[in-house]
Amino acid sequence: MNTIVQNILAFSAVGLAVAFLIKKFFWKKSKPKKACGNEDCGCH
Amino acid sequence: MSKQINVALIGNPNTGKTSVFNALTGLNQKVGNYPGITVEKKEGVCKLPRGVKAHIIDLPGTYSLNASSLDESVVIELLLNQNNKDFPDIAVVVTDVENLKRNLLIFTQIKDLQIPTILVINMADRMSYKGISLDIEHLEKELQTKIALVSTRKKQGIDELKQLISNYKDVSVKPCLDIASIDVTYFENLKKTFPNQLMYKLWLVITQDVNFGKVDRNEVDAVADFKTKTNADLKRLQQKETIKRYQFINNVLKVGQTIDVTQAKDLRTKFDRILTHKFWGYIIFFAILLLIFQAIYDWATVPMDFIDASFASLSEWLANLLPDGAFTSLLTEGIIPGLGGIVIFIPQIAFLFLFISILEESGYMSRVVFLMDRVMRRFGLSGKSVVPLISGTACAIPAIMATRNIESWKERLITILVTPFTTCSARLPVYLIIIALVIPEGRFLGLSYQALTLMLLYLIGFGTAVISAYILNKVLQIKSKSFFVVEMPNYKLPLFKNVVLTVVEKTKAFVFGAGKIILAISIVLWFLASYGPGEQFNNAEEIVKTQFASQNLSDEELQNKITSHKLEHSFIGITGRAIEPVIRPLGYDWKIGIAIVSSFAAREVFVGTLATIYSVGSDDEETIKNRMAGEVNPILGGPLFNFASGISLLLFYAFAMQCMSTLAVVKRETNSWKWPSLQLALMSSFAYIVALIAFQLLK
Repeated sequence: MNTIVQNILAFSAVGLAVAFLIKKFFWKKSKPKKACGNEDCGCH
Repeated sequence: MSKQINVALIGNPNTGKTSVFNALTGLNQKVGNYPGITVEKKEGVCKLPRGVKAHIIDLPGTYSLNASSLDESVVIELLLNQNNKDFPDIAVVVTDVENLKRNLLIFTQIKDLQIPTILVINMADRMSYKGISLDIEHLEKELQTKIALVSTRKKQGIDELKQLISNYKDVSVKPCLDIASIDVTYFENLKKTFPNQLMYKLWLVITQDVNFGKVDRNEVDAVADFKTKTNADLKRLQQKETIKRYQFINNVLKVGQTIDVTQAKDLRTKFDRILTHKFWGYIIFFAILLLIFQAIYDWATVPMDFIDASFASLSEWLANLLPDGAFTSLLTEGIIPGLGGIVIFIPQIAFLFLFISILEESGYMSRVVFLMDRVMRRFGLSGKSVVPLISGTACAIPAIMATRNIESWKERLITILVTPFTTCSARLPVYLIIIALVIPEGRFLGLSYQALTLMLLYLIGFGTAVISAYILNKVLQIKSKSFFVVEMPNYKLPLFKNVVLTVVEKTKAFVFGAGKIILAISIVLWFLASYGPGEQFNNAEEIVKTQFASQNLSDEELQNKITSHKLEHSFIGITGRAIEPVIRPLGYDWKIGIAIVSSFAAREVFVGTLATIYSVGSDDEETIKNRMAGEVNPILGGPLFNFASGISLLLFYAFAMQCMSTLAVVKRETNSWKWPSLQLALMSSFAYIVALIAFQLLK
């Protein structure tokens, strides 16, 4: 395995890891239809 | 192609429904969520006679079809919506032989929906202990169903149940109760307006308080020539319906079930008297806790040492096998040490869940909830808050979701806010490694100091949660009232299969849930620690050689100085040194600072981060514990992880809100950023102050 291949593999792994973390923590999920507010909404 | 049918497993809580599910599906099961909500959905596949396959859904435990919580509404939504892909071809209602009367209520309701319904009478092996005898023929005739007498403990009746399920077309769909009999005029009117609808289904749609998604009661209200009753009238009719159902059940059981109390060999009352005793109940509970923590330490040491050494050897082996380069470095100094930092804790996590699962399976956990209710009331919480607080020992996220069954909004909000203080399994790796480093190995009355420290940390977490609840109860101006009802299941010998499945499921969730994040963070950390900007990083070798030219350093010493210089000027070193002034008063160096910041993603990342940072540039393949023990405090000298900094770290993790996912769940459950922001600010400030005081007093 030469240096170039090693670098490609390592930096691809870093790129994938960063993309995974961004998706995991910063990707906006669709909001649930209904959730409780500051008052008792009676949905439970 | 083989035929597949949908089977819904329904029943009251504590009837052994999950044991029947496990017996039917074995390992062919998966756990997920219902779409759009966070109620757990368990489903599996079972092979039936004649090549038929059954897709089995283990629905949440419910006492009746009159939903009062999100879990229960899931059951009704499925049973009322024929377009749902999981709509059952057959319903299997699981009952407990000792609580048949109460368990039959939901059976009669499902039967009235004209869904083929089989009755499983579970825990049949207990009949002789309780002096119970059943006339199955009479019960089948009166209830118009097929009955399977099952004992999952003795592995009896499961084949018969499979046979009954495969013959589901033979099961009668005749209702148990004519719903029109509770108010003839009203139902005649309803029938005229909706001639093609099943009356009982309509009645359920009209009377439920919960929004059912596709099943919409507004459609009923919108019909102009039909006027429904007021809520108070509907409630009165519901009560009448329940009374009529119990009259029917009583008549059936009068002949179908005989209980001879003189034949009962009941130990339950005797056990309950001791285990829920005002004084002895607590003593026994704490003794059990001590035993658990002692066992976690004594039994897990050997496999943990083995895993630790195996990961160190794997790194060394790969380093020798692969050519030098960035990817080899990433594997041996980033990924493997990072993953080793989580895998090492599998034995202890598995032991913890083993004990929790045994306590739950045996029926003892319900006694703990009852016992704790007395304490909780004084602090403004009800016994229902105990369930989230105890399940918080696994993870705060499902625990916060479990607050959904608390009716009072104030109690629910307080429970959501204080649950993250409970010691979750993610804190365990941090506690275990720090305790192993700073607490001596001696024993007191046969109990190791390390086990006692761990138990103390659990008690500190629980105590802080309760005291915070008391303060919040006084501060929050929300008026509400709630009642607490807990069912005491019978004592049972835990089923080996159930215990194993729980341990495997929870350990898997712990390892794979956090594992992916730890893997990704380890890779990013390796990059940040292996590369850096500017002259100081790129010409580290020359700078160090010039700096130490006058001192006669050996090659190894010089190499260590270069590695240390590079790490200090790498991206991570620059970031770490920027935050060092804030954490130095707590006794931490910049590397611990980085570990604290990265563990905000998940607490268990702390150990993996340190393992990765200490590995980068190092040629020695050491275990994580030895690397941490060898770290020297750059300012004060001596070990970095000493008693003062160790206690400070333990207390910081006990109180800090170090979990991004928990904050996201609190936001979702309260639909406001106000509460998670408050939680983050207060918990983190409190953790900082306590850790600061601890270090300054102990150093």
